[in-house]
Amino acid sequence: MHPNDTTLNGYADGTLNAAERPGVDQHLAGCAACRETVDDLIEILRATGDLELREPPVRAWSRLERAIRMEREPRPSVGTTPGPARAGRSYATWLAAAAAVLIATAVGLRYAPGRRVEAPGAASAASASVSAGDAAQSIETELRQAESHYEKAIKGLETIANSEQGELDPRTAATLQKNLAVIDQAISESRAAVRAQPASEPAQQSLIDGFKTKIGLLQDTVALINEMRKGNEAGAARIASGLKQKGT
Amino acid sequence: MDVVARIQAGDVDAFETLYRQHSAKIYTLASRMAGSAEDGEDLLQEIFLQAYRKIGSFKGDSALGTWLYRLALNHCLDFVRSRQAKMNKLTETLDAETSYEPTARRDTPIARLDLERAVERLPEGCREAFVLHDVEGFDHKEVGELLGIAEGTSKSQVFKARLKLRGWLRGK
Repeated sequence: MHPNDTTLNGYADGTLNAAERPGVDQHLAGCAACRETVDDLIEILRATGDLELREPPVRAWSRLERAIRMEREPRPSVGTTPGPARAGRSYATWLAAAAAVLIATAVGLRYAPGRRVEAPGAASAASASVSAGDAAQSIETELRQAESHYEKAIKGLETIANSEQGELDPRTAATLQKNLAVIDQAISESRAAVRAQPASEPAQQSLIDGFKTKIGLLQDTVALINEMRKGNEAGAARIASGLKQKGT
Repeated sequence: MDVVARIQAGDVDAFETLYRQHSAKIYTLASRMAGSAEDGEDLLQEIFLQAYRKIGSFKGDSALGTWLYRLALNHCLDFVRSRQAKMNKLTETLDAETSYEPTARRDTPIARLDLERAVERLPEGCREAFVLHDVEGFDHKEVGELLGIAEGTSKSQVFKARLKLRGWLRGK
């Protein structure tokens, strides 16, 4: 009789009771299948131990810094005209504020395809009676809502990025345009797939991933423009390098 | 002036120093717990924003990195719990989809990237237990407390995760 999974796992990670080990050793000596399982488990444990830390994307700090500055610096009151000395700084703050609002919209939205659909305000017994057809309809409605939010966020970011793209050097602007074209194509294909198969979770996820990627790229662009306005060459170079990497 | 005092005084450069020192560890934890780089990035942002807001409550009882890690872990667990509540249906689908038998024998060492991707594909529940136990080094009792499950359940979830990984990786 073969040892069960718990015993083989315990043998592989060394937590098996010492009294049980000789019996397993004896079994492994004569059972190629269990020996193979144990070898694989040991290899997985070894590989897991070798996993390295992952570096976050370069834009992550820019996003965070904007959010922090938003918390620290109250928005200038409407109708206030900044003086010449503060104009650049105020512009950067406005840009950061606009981008942060859009980012907050996008970050707050975590569309989860296939999630259980609950009727608003209904008791669990009532929600259990929601038919499969109603659930599919609700998922489609949620996807449409998510799509609409993402498109709104993208439009806002595009407005900022397009109006200030003259700030970018031609090479970076070209890379940006190339990347946006690739992402737009992917979004277009995913949208067609969702229209053809509205209930397909991979198609839904692919569309949402496309929106997220586009938002990420536009966020980077706004962050880059912002860093350039602030005269932070190191920050700008870090973000520009990230934009170029995405184009390769 | 130490880094905490500087951050409390509004020094964003000091906060950036803290971010540069710890962001990779926090991002790695968050993206593995969430099972996606995108969610990991959002979590990283939320965790550091929370750290910025709560830095005043840091009393120096532990190292700043330990305090930050704890805050990050709690935030990741909140995210996972909240998503689990919403995604039971998807989890069931994934469980069904991923319980296939491997057909080929793996005879080369497991590549890191393959393992990272496979960990992301693990079903909710067993992925978190696996990350906390086999990657982050918590024992099963601690994993049980963190995830709100029995110690034995933590064990079975970790074992299930390893066997699923084996199924996916041995075909390489």
